[in-house]
Amino acid sequence: MELFRDDGCLTDEGLRALTAGQLDELGRLEAAEHLSYCDRCLDRYTALLTGGALEAPPHDLGRPVNRAILTRLMNNLYGRAAVASVAAVLALTFWRSGALGLTLGRDAPSLEMYVPGQVAPPAAGSIPEVGFDQPPRPGERGAGALTRRAYEAVSSLLDGLAAPDTARH
Amino acid sequence: MTKQEFTALVQTYQGLVYTVCHQLVPDGDAAEDLAQETFLAAWRAADRCPPGFEKQWLARIAANKAKDYLRSGWARKVTAPGDEVMALAGAPPDQGPEARALAALGEEELRRMILALREPYRTPCRLCLLEGHAPAEAARLCRRPEKTFNAQLWRARKMLRAQIEAEREQEGRSTDGTVSR
Repeated sequence: MELFRDDGCLTDEGLRALTAGQLDELGRLEAAEHLSYCDRCLDRYTALLTGGALEAPPHDLGRPVNRAILTRLMNNLYGRAAVASVAAVLALTFWRSGALGLTLGRDAPSLEMYVPGQVAPPAAGSIPEVGFDQPPRPGERGAGALTRRAYEAVSSLLDGLAAPDTARH
Repeated sequence: MTKQEFTALVQTYQGLVYTVCHQLVPDGDAAEDLAQETFLAAWRAADRCPPGFEKQWLARIAANKAKDYLRSGWARKVTAPGDEVMALAGAPPDQGPEARALAALGEEELRRMILALREPYRTPCRLCLLEGHAPAEAARLCRRPEKTFNAQLWRARKMLRAQIEAEREQEGRSTDGTVSR
């Protein structure tokens, strides 16, 4: 039996063999490959699948499909929630450890580098103290000042939350 | 597509989708899994369903799912250890035992063997091995997806190699027969 015509499309005989379950594994693979891209043969094939030619699935597919869709949706939702939680925990950890203070200038007296012997180290007291009680630096406006205020607000909130624990001990 | 519309789609076409999967993959459990995967894929791409062509659209997705399932099973069955890379789309076409076996053939003999191949293998071999087209270009010329084209070319090379080896073996046997006489 010829499964394919010379023009590369499935023969009528081949389609009938497919619907009758008479193709071997390679024949089924070749037919599936062809049906996955050929519109004409797909139309001819689906035209054969009507009425009594259709098989009923052993179980109704509606429920498992809906369950699988719901599971995927929940996985997406949980995945996003997990990522957000990790991000929040990391942010709070950095905040409490003072790592964010470095980026904001707190406790970071100088970021200048010097090589001993080439440049004299800065004299004691020559490094300006940069703290949050100081007025905004020149040019620090908008987002910079806002970040400072947010930092102070959250720090005081976290200190307030930590205080009862400290008192208990 | 709303949830109700999708549920109605599943109810209407679950028989069709299962039939396509089961005719292509006779294992009932695997066919049921593939039918479910088909509807999941349909749900993800519901906005791409051409209105009025739901039947063909779902049958195509089912055929694609069955094709991937059969292709992985076939590749496992016929691939020798170390050949795995050849099963993948985009594998280097001029390496491996198939390429060496074909390179050892004369041009006339190669042409004869390729033209004697059946479809869907004759066209890919003719375009790539006789006319020298690159696989991507040849896939476009015969309007087949590149991945499918590469898979067919890969299987065709294996068939040709098996045929060459069978002919060599037969020649060897007849030669032995002549000498022993």
